[in-house]
Amino acid sequence: MVTQTQAVPPVPAVAPPSDGAVVRAEGLTKRFGDLLAVDDLSFSLECGTVTGFLGPNGAGKTTTLRMLLHLVEPTAGRALVLGGRYQDLERPAARVGAVLEVADFHPGRSGRDHLFALALALGRADERGNWFFGRERAAAERVDAVLELVELGGAGRRRVGGYSLGMRQRLGLAGALLGDPELLILDEPANGLDPEGVRWLRDFLRTFAAEGKTVLVSSHVLAEVAQTVDQVVIINKGRLVAFSPLAELTARLTGDVRVRAPEAARLRDELAREGIRSALLDGDELRVEGASSARVGEIAYGADLLLHALVPQSSSLEDVFLELTTEEPS
Amino acid sequence: MTDQLLSELRKMRSTRTNLGLLAGMVFLTLLTVSVNGFVTDAVELRSHDNQHLVLSAGTNGALFAALIGIMAITSEFRHGTIRPTFVVTPRRSRVIAAKVLASLLMGVIFGLVAIALSFGVGYAILAARGIPFELDTAHVLLLVFGTLAMTALWAELGVGLGAVIKNQVFAVIALIVWTGFVDNILRNVVPDVGRFTPVGVSDSITAGYEDYLLAPPVAGAILVGYVAVFVAAGALLVARRDVT
Repeated sequence: MVTQTQAVPPVPAVAPPSDGAVVRAEGLTKRFGDLLAVDDLSFSLECGTVTGFLGPNGAGKTTTLRMLLHLVEPTAGRALVLGGRYQDLERPAARVGAVLEVADFHPGRSGRDHLFALALALGRADERGNWFFGRERAAAERVDAVLELVELGGAGRRRVGGYSLGMRQRLGLAGALLGDPELLILDEPANGLDPEGVRWLRDFLRTFAAEGKTVLVSSHVLAEVAQTVDQVVIINKGRLVAFSPLAELTARLTGDVRVRAPEAARLRDELAREGIRSALLDGDELRVEGASSARVGEIAYGADLLLHALVPQSSSLEDVFLELTTEEPS
Repeated sequence: MTDQLLSELRKMRSTRTNLGLLAGMVFLTLLTVSVNGFVTDAVELRSHDNQHLVLSAGTNGALFAALIGIMAITSEFRHGTIRPTFVVTPRRSRVIAAKVLASLLMGVIFGLVAIALSFGVGYAILAARGIPFELDTAHVLLLVFGTLAMTALWAELGVGLGAVIKNQVFAVIALIVWTGFVDNILRNVVPDVGRFTPVGVSDSITAGYEDYLLAPPVAGAILVGYVAVFVAAGALLVARRDVT
């Protein structure tokens, strides 16, 4: 198959898409009866990025991810991974790993057997050994390797019914890693995990991404993924709300300042003179918009006004996220 | 396709479901053959039909085989394993085909156990009670191979039914209501229709003695037809339905 030419580097089995997009939604739309779950959604993700796919519950994240994996058929538009439709890829699970639910296991089956069945269905990359034992051995090697990778080696032979939520999460991840994928799609992976589990997942994704691989991870809580992702795709009611680097989102952080001063009304007038908006809250309390606390203090000092308190109220990423996703579409 | 088949076989032997079904089948077959063999009066047991009744207890195995097939597909929907299964093998018809083949294999194993039990124990009971064996070789061969074929085919019927209905409880209820009530009523009340039902044609291929039955080759072909229709319908629906 491959021409052996010394000077030319080996050609990858499947050429990457010309535009470099690993995941691409083009006017993606899904209608379930009367419900428009995903509405003309378009975005594309570059190789090597970690993308947070955010939106409140019911925003259409899960449906979108399932359309990417050919579990749900789009009503309109296209869902592409690695340059093609998922179902058209050769051995797609060898290139794309997915964890869609925390509990997609038979409780009576051991974690190892769960993975074994998936590994057998995935098949082997190279045809070693005879048709039966070759397949079984290749699957066993892969299964034991991923169990080690997710630190679940010891529990592999126990029934999944006895696993903790964190262990199930790892088992799901192990299943996604069976094919050594270059793209990982995770749907709400941190849901229900304890803080330790969330940290483990975050470290894992960082390591995965450090190898130049691509991750698309959905969540309805920005804080869960804020420390992991490079960029965010935010959707609400099936529509794209924002698609930007995380840094741009951070830049939208606004800083209010709360001030307590005996002569709050005078301070407000002084601030207004400097073009700074503020609102009188509660007799001696003032909320100042769009000015640093240093600037407020400076103005107060210049006007000879006594301050009792000067507290910056920086809004969190979460606030920005909420603001974006609760905005009524105009 | 080999990969998917090995995967399905691994699924089947890695839970206790099929072991439980096997135990249930063994128990029911032994119970039926013992009750028919010991309770029936010695004089009555000399009749051809009553001996057939004792030895054909193994046809119960078909019901358990159908449950293998139903479980093979509905438990994936019930526990959500259908998602990783279809992510690994997006060509869903391949998954269904692998389940059909794996169920066929399990059905044959169940059939062998059922026929060995009903025939072995039934024959032993007759011998122990000193009752001369009345069934001729042709009848015995038809009963043995018919039971095996019936069990093997009902396993796939289960896959098709499970794929169509999807819900495990409803699929099992549908199987029980059909075989236990609807089919019985059809065969007893309208035999012209009843001989074409799944149970009716199964009776025909297992040397059943009702006079309305069909010739075994015709009946076998009709049973294969049922399997083909159910599996095709199931595969089509599974391919079209969204996995949510």
